Amino acid sequence: MKEVTLASLKEAANRLLFDMSEAEYKTLLEEFKTVSKQMALIAEDKSVDNYSPMIYPFPVATDSLREDIPCKPESRETILKNAKNKMAGQIKLPKVVS
Amino acid sequence: MNYLDLTITAMHEALVKKQVTPLELTSEAIKRIKEDKNNAIEYLCEQEALAFAKTLTTPEKDNPLWGIPFAVKDNISTKDIPTTASADILNGYVPIFDATAISKLKAKKAVMIAKTTLDSLAMGGSGTTGHLGKTYNPYDPSHTRMIAGSSCGSASVVSSSIVPFALGSDTGDSIRKPASFAGLVGFKPTWGRISRFGLFPFVPSLDALGFFTRSVEDAAILLNVLAGHDEADYTSSLVQVDDYTKELNNPLKGVKIAVIQEIIDSFTDQDIIKRFNETIKIYQSLGAKVDYVHLDKHLLMTLFPTYYIISCAEATSNNANLDGIKFGPYYDADNYIEVMKKARTAGFSERIKRRFVLGSFALMKENQNELFLRAAKNRHKIVDEINKIFKDYDVIYAPASPSIAPRFDSVTNQLQDEYLIADNYMCIGNFGGYPSLTLPVGFKDNMPFGFNLTAKPFMEAKLFNIAKALEDKLGYFNLSARNKK
Repeated sequence: MKEVTLASLKEAANRLLFDMSEAEYKTLLEEFKTVSKQMALIAEDKSVDNYSPMIYPFPVATDSLREDIPCKPESRETILKNAKNKMAGQIKLPKVVS
Repeated sequence: MNYLDLTITAMHEALVKKQVTPLELTSEAIKRIKEDKNNAIEYLCEQEALAFAKTLTTPEKDNPLWGIPFAVKDNISTKDIPTTASADILNGYVPIFDATAISKLKAKKAVMIAKTTLDSLAMGGSGTTGHLGKTYNPYDPSHTRMIAGSSCGSASVVSSSIVPFALGSDTGDSIRKPASFAGLVGFKPTWGRISRFGLFPFVPSLDALGFFTRSVEDAAILLNVLAGHDEADYTSSLVQVDDYTKELNNPLKGVKIAVIQEIIDSFTDQDIIKRFNETIKIYQSLGAKVDYVHLDKHLLMTLFPTYYIISCAEATSNNANLDGIKFGPYYDADNYIEVMKKARTAGFSERIKRRFVLGSFALMKENQNELFLRAAKNRHKIVDEINKIFKDYDVIYAPASPSIAPRFDSVTNQLQDEYLIADNYMCIGNFGGYPSLTLPVGFKDNMPFGFNLTAKPFMEAKLFNIAKALEDKLGYFNLSARNKK
């Protein structure tokens, strides 16, 4: 397992596209110590490896297809109303290629 | 007593008899919100609610929700009403559609009064991390005790008799724990029983949309309206919907209740334990069979870390769409990566960021086996063990919280049994997708506390039956901080 260090936490935060202050990283590092101790409780029990990962509580049948129901789509204006930066009916972002 | 202080059932009777009108109820609810000092409301739907209530002039005898005011946790989409999940990154967001649960309540002509606050993005259990800071427990005028979260605002407004019911969401115990501290019935259904379309996803494998009421009967009535398959939510169940009121008054003879000894052993508050033993005698006197069963204590101590790893990991990916581009405040920058980074840095609280980093760390290729997948395997083991108990029993019964509502400045040792088990065992209900309900059972230092019943999947009618039997015996019905005796 990757070692929990300030650098590895910064790497994780960077992947998530946000930044934290040095003080926040320190708090996080402390939190990791507690979580690691708690996770060690699971690691102690080797029988856990005999189980498959549970992704949902129980299967839900999804073998039906929805009926096609004609409906009027929302207007472009409605769909874009929550975007703050827009132009000519599109969301506007800084140039990707200069 | 004002008509707004009644349960849904009694309020419906008064409406049908024209003793009160929806407009009068709505006006009184809005007045109470304006007077309220508990920091419960994100958005007051004053104009919308009054305009709708005015249109309700002919009572519908067979519609128990006609004209009934209600509130909604602010992580549930409401068309044309701001919905921010109490997170800065969603400030200004106004959904263009209603969650299915909201559509169903609107179809029944219930009156939405307000959006309630929560721990930001529903991540947290203290009711302190949203836009409004601390949400106060209405039973504590000194404002030193929490109501807990994450559904803190919804619990608060029902407890304050502002509305007779409010929607919430429950991923670990976010309805059932505040219900205990607020003297309410708090209910989460079987996973998939109520559509989650329009509920902001936190941990989809655990999330449930549920509610607070002031009686068990009201909870059954609400589930009758909200249950059912929804084509907009393919995780919603196709299992046939029941009449959840039909078993409410059945005798308990033949009912089997399991008490997990190791969970009870983790509680230290002797008043809560004494009350628990008294209620067991009540259940036995009603004809139920109550047995103490055993579950490996070590496995119980892994409940919280299992929950924490799974929830942080799922939350990290489910909130990747919050980028400040499609909605939320926009921050200008030289490139789109920086636009997102600025929005996410400013828009997420420190606590949320810590959870996301932890989740991301658990999902890294090098760590996945030892963290996320191991937690998911352990969840499987826990659910298998609980299902073994459910082979012989109808419900599992235990106190819902290790104490009355804690003070905001209380400190917890997160490695002790009381924290790892007593304070967090109710996530079992989410791990296995079981229906689970907390109901009020007593008071200590003038603060309420509740006990929890968890049943097999889709056995909500039986769950309500077992809960109501205790409610009837104890008389803790329609409690509120406003009308406490």
